Amino acid sequence: MRPLKDAQLGAFTFFASALPHDVCGSNGLPLTPNSIKILGRFQILKTVTHPRLCQYVDISRGKHERLIVVAEHYESSLSHFQKQGKTASPEKVLQIAYEVLEGLEFMNKHGMVHRALSAHNVLMDCKGNVKLAKFGLYHMTDHGADVDFPIGYPSYLAPEVIAQGSFHPSDSSHDEAPLPSGPKTDVWSLGVLLFELCAGRRLLQNIDISERLKFILTLGCMDDIVTVLAEEHGCLDTIKELPENVLELLRKCLTFLPSKRATPAELLGDPVFDGVSCLYTPFQKPVSLFSSSLRCAHLELPEDISDLCKDDDEDYLSERAIDEVYHLWCLAGGDLEKELTNKEIIQSKPPICTLPNFVLEDGESFGQGRDRSFLLDDTTVTLSLCQLRNRLKDVAGEAYYPLLEDEQSSLPQSNSSNELSATVTLPLIIRERDTEYQLIRIILFDRLLKAYPYKKNLVWKEARVDIPPLVRGLAWAGLLGIEGDIQAKYESIDKDTPIPTDRQIEVDIPRCHQYDELLSSPQGHIKFRRVLKAWVVSHPDLVYWQGLDSLCAPFLYLNFNNEALAYACMSAFIPKYLYNFFLKDNSHVIQEYLTVFSQMIAFHDPELSNHLNEIGFIPDLYAIPWFLTMFTHVFPLHKIFHLWDTLLLGNSSFPFCIGVAILQQLRDRLLANGFNECILLFSDLPEIDIERCVRESITLFCWTPKSATYRQHAQPPKAACDNGFGKTATYYSSDYQDMPKTDLSREPLALCDLKAEVSPRISAEDLIDLCELSLAGPAKRTKAGKPKIIAVDIRSVEDFSRGHISGSINIPFSTAFGPDGELLQCPATGVLQNYRGRVIVVISHAIKSAAMFASHLVKVNFPRVCILDGGINKLKPTGLLTVPSPQI
Amino acid sequence: MKKNKSKANTAAEKEFVFEFKAGKHNCVLKVPLQFPVQENISDLHGRLMLLHKIPCYIENELKTSLSAFIERETILDYDREAELALQRLTAGDVDVNQLTNAWTRSYVETTLEHARPEEPSWDEDFADVYHELIHSPASDTLLNLEHNYFVSISELISERDMEIKKLQERQAAEMDKVMHELGNTLSDQDVNAVASQHFDAQQVLENKWASELKQVTGIQKQEYQEWVIKLHQDLQKSTNSSQINEEIKVQPSQLSELADSGARMFEEQPQLEESFTIHLGAQLKTMHNLRLVRADVLDFCKHRRHGSGGAKLRRLQTALSLYSSSLCGLVLLVDNRVNSYSGIKRDFATVAKECTDFHFHCLEGQLEEVQQVVLYARAQRSSKQKEQPASGSQKIPRNGCDDKSKNVERNPSNILPGEFYISRHSNLSEVHVVFHLCVDDNVRSGNITARDPAIMGLRNILKVCCTHDITTVTVPLLLVHDMSEEMTIPWCLKRAELVFKCVKGFMMEMASWDGGISRTVQFLVPKSISEEMFYQLSNMLPQIFRVSSTLTLTSKH
Repeated sequence: MRPLKDAQLGAFTFFASALPHDVCGSNGLPLTPNSIKILGRFQILKTVTHPRLCQYVDISRGKHERLIVVAEHYESSLSHFQKQGKTASPEKVLQIAYEVLEGLEFMNKHGMVHRALSAHNVLMDCKGNVKLAKFGLYHMTDHGADVDFPIGYPSYLAPEVIAQGSFHPSDSSHDEAPLPSGPKTDVWSLGVLLFELCAGRRLLQNIDISERLKFILTLGCMDDIVTVLAEEHGCLDTIKELPENVLELLRKCLTFLPSKRATPAELLGDPVFDGVSCLYTPFQKPVSLFSSSLRCAHLELPEDISDLCKDDDEDYLSERAIDEVYHLWCLAGGDLEKELTNKEIIQSKPPICTLPNFVLEDGESFGQGRDRSFLLDDTTVTLSLCQLRNRLKDVAGEAYYPLLEDEQSSLPQSNSSNELSATVTLPLIIRERDTEYQLIRIILFDRLLKAYPYKKNLVWKEARVDIPPLVRGLAWAGLLGIEGDIQAKYESIDKDTPIPTDRQIEVDIPRCHQYDELLSSPQGHIKFRRVLKAWVVSHPDLVYWQGLDSLCAPFLYLNFNNEALAYACMSAFIPKYLYNFFLKDNSHVIQEYLTVFSQMIAFHDPELSNHLNEIGFIPDLYAIPWFLTMFTHVFPLHKIFHLWDTLLLGNSSFPFCIGVAILQQLRDRLLANGFNECILLFSDLPEIDIERCVRESITLFCWTPKSATYRQHAQPPKAACDNGFGKTATYYSSDYQDMPKTDLSREPLALCDLKAEVSPRISAEDLIDLCELSLAGPAKRTKAGKPKIIAVDIRSVEDFSRGHISGSINIPFSTAFGPDGELLQCPATGVLQNYRGRVIVVISHAIKSAAMFASHLVKVNFPRVCILDGGINKLKPTGLLTVPSPQI
Repeated sequence: MKKNKSKANTAAEKEFVFEFKAGKHNCVLKVPLQFPVQENISDLHGRLMLLHKIPCYIENELKTSLSAFIERETILDYDREAELALQRLTAGDVDVNQLTNAWTRSYVETTLEHARPEEPSWDEDFADVYHELIHSPASDTLLNLEHNYFVSISELISERDMEIKKLQERQAAEMDKVMHELGNTLSDQDVNAVASQHFDAQQVLENKWASELKQVTGIQKQEYQEWVIKLHQDLQKSTNSSQINEEIKVQPSQLSELADSGARMFEEQPQLEESFTIHLGAQLKTMHNLRLVRADVLDFCKHRRHGSGGAKLRRLQTALSLYSSSLCGLVLLVDNRVNSYSGIKRDFATVAKECTDFHFHCLEGQLEEVQQVVLYARAQRSSKQKEQPASGSQKIPRNGCDDKSKNVERNPSNILPGEFYISRHSNLSEVHVVFHLCVDDNVRSGNITARDPAIMGLRNILKVCCTHDITTVTVPLLLVHDMSEEMTIPWCLKRAELVFKCVKGFMMEMASWDGGISRTVQFLVPKSISEEMFYQLSNMLPQIFRVSSTLTLTSKH
């Protein structure tokens, strides 16, 4: 979005019309409230950016179908000009006309019509340039169908608009809404507006509305509308004196028949503007982050670079984008309803005074007077930025322009950096509400993302701290490595031709995260459908499984105005975390996944695992929707965002840890309950503290040896396709599968064998790495980050003495356990007890005995037990086995 | 190629023709397009490229010509429609006056700029003033004043009761005497005469008291309102509020002496109640409070003696929230007549009269208004039905629909099961709004379903709660106020389950109407049910609603 500059933020409010009581949609579901429809349709307006249009920023829903729209705003408008009672100079008139037409033409290109053009909706910035306000009202209200009030102002209505009639909701005699108006209606309104400017007075001001409208309709029989209007208002002389091109323009605008009237685009090219058009350069849309064209193609640096830094006013905040400023305004305590209430735009009656007297069985109510506070007052209120500026007054100027070269310092070196580094340690929820902190983070991410993919590494690094909510959509795209011309790719996918999956998609969408306003709006449903269809069509080897809709939801929510990006993110996410989950026959993938999951439960929480196995509460009963939708089916969006912020940083085995962390939060209740209660508990998952869940899953992840979550059906290693900017893979983010395969890696295991083992296997590689046995070179990780490990050799004492890995302890299988599986008391087991809590790697000749030993350990609640894949034989070729020197 | 839109609407289909050269071949692409074009042009373009394997070197050309075509045709359509409308006007198919009047109406009725200026309303001004005062230090005074008025009314009422009682005793004695003489000196006719004389005397006395009460309430109300307005003016005028504070303080001390003297005794009943916090919703959960209470429905209305067990606090709470957006409502089950002559309606009216309503019309006045509105609503309905007799498909006729309409024809001022009227009160102890829900004898039977009018009425009540910020609502769980013999334990359990489940459904529905504002629903069971039954019901509740997990604090070892 554009920088704020000298603009202000303005808010205005209106009510969507209430739905008729108790009517169902064609699908049997309740109708969508009109306010939600408007909210959904509004979103696209945020992308309509043009220097002649007031930028739309946000919309929010209040109680009782109230909507509040936030947009760029200026205090001065043409109506101020009119109030002074002066006539505008012909040059000024031409300039205003041209600029208004520029705005209109741009809107028309986006399929929008203003319809509410009037003197007070043509604002002027401080340079005197035109900014059209409320241009999206007609679009967002579905041509006025979703609101009770008519859109447009009586004096400015074009004759055909009047002729098509007004639709009054309380009047059921004609059900049809009037036809939508075309772009030419705005040209008429512009004509009236320009006439007023030339005449220096307002048109048809003093007569009653119906007379006004009748007068406009009678103009059809007149030859020269301009003269008639001038005579009517007693300003014939002033009009006659106008230069010919202005008169010509007025005549062209005030053409009665629409077919003879020009469109805004045609008027712009008209010779009347010959003197003006040369002053304007056509608007060029800034290139988006993901496109085929060069982003710097139109960059022009001044001869003298220092010209750029000449700005001596210290108002750095106004250089930030409008939506950023608004976001910060909200964080700094801005409250839209309060602002509007203070200005008495929102006046509400006490609800007890507006109760109906009597309600019929079908819900129709009677005896309720019409509430005046529901009337439209479309005055725009300026939102004061004082509080925000005050809040940010201590933020140094350097903070607005952080240097990115230095990879060491993430936060800018300013006075407040100490304070900020203190903020980093606060809980995420508090950080997300901290104005200064968010300012710094947003600026940093904004700059990093502008430099994407060149600064990909830094994006990763900063994302590990946190991701500011405002830029989450793009940041995720960065983390998922989206590149290229996604728009063209998306457009080339056929999303219209019916496919067999359509029916299922149609059924699922109205049930997916519908508590959310965006996703429950009709626009949301349309976008949902298109993105899902695009994915299904472009992945012929995969199919639509229920749950894909939930998976799509966070991406669609974050990139509501950029379906292509939502699609691209989803297409990148699925192979990374859900490889082959959406195969037509995905049972082998899911079965393997769930088995590894239950091994992870046993690894991290043997007590819980024992209990769950005992009551037969296996992951198949509850965890499939967790993993198939990556938890999007079980959590609301705001929790998913925090969860995925971390998930996207981890590798494909991170979801296991999240699953275990969720179980651990419910641990007490699970342990206390039997099968039936557990099923009930999980049928409607209780509230989960998501921050704790994230924190714990990271801890779990750090304790998990990488190869323990090896899956043969995981995504095969990608071909090395690094393109120069490729991020350097870190230990945590890279997948086990991506590492070069060696003899010491894990071998695929048949599902039945895998299921038989309680504890996970780890590879010899991991063992060597974790025990720091490696002969060559330094370890990949520093010691601090590694889980502590103890190798337990369960071979006989003789075998052990013939060669073992250094640091391992010997507990022969036969000596360790009693007949009932309890751990026997002996020196070796005592040592084991001392090492309780470390990762225990069981090593033996035969895998079978190791597995048995491990399952015994799990039975007696030893955490973090795993077995060495391939046993001791795997290690023999490495030459790492040592023979203890005989004790003297 | 075939277009896939099979929707048969009035929209026209136009053919887009595009010619291009591929090598030596001249190719022509013809695409029928439905106008107005709904789909995205880029998508359409992408699909055409894909479907017809159009060479990529004419990609851009195709796109420009496609969008130019659509733009041109759309403008033509707009023009055609617009001129059609203008023609209709000149041809006289549409009446100009009617048209412009419709426009005027929509402006006048929906926009502030053109709306008629508001006539000042006493009620709302008073509401503002009162709301301000009750949230100021003056609240204590207000409450005391209200209480003192209450006390004087109570005195009157007890005096009345006493007098009526005396009269009845006297009459009973007289009647005894007469009965004694029956057959001796007096005939049946004489007895009847005496009886009717007694009846008349009672009537006279009752009327006398009724009018006196009415007069006193009228005076009280006026005094009160004047005093409130004056106090408010004084508060606004004075810059230093010390003097006013004096004024505020003086009054209570004068009056508080009276406070204890006359209050009628109110027997404190042991109430049984249990509270639950629940979560609703699959992913996004909203929190609500439920309470199961065993009490008499009028306990929520009656005032207790001042000073006893938080009665004053409760009263303050009710007064504070009167004009706020967290109101309390109560569902009262009534029969099909809008009056207060019998049964629970009469009991309620008695309670409502115990204390002057300083803000709203008295109950009788409100009921009269309701009667008018009911008649109006019936008239509206029947005129609408006559208007569209053919549109029967919209409304699915329910069982007994014909009976109902007959019933209405018989007496249009009666209301039907499932319908309810609303009364507003400032003088009840814990309730601002009373929903008088009409039920019939059907609710006593064991087999009502979720489709029953009474249940639909509950849903509409909850909907009104939503639209009018009633955040606490009390619902009779068993849909009866008194227990009778046919209401066995299985009957109770079945009924409770039905109401719990329906209310749960409605609450979830409400979340989509108001964005999930947390609210309190109290389920009321009659006093006469056993303690055991109560606990059975309270065990049932967590099985139907998801009770939020209790926070267990465990010490980590």
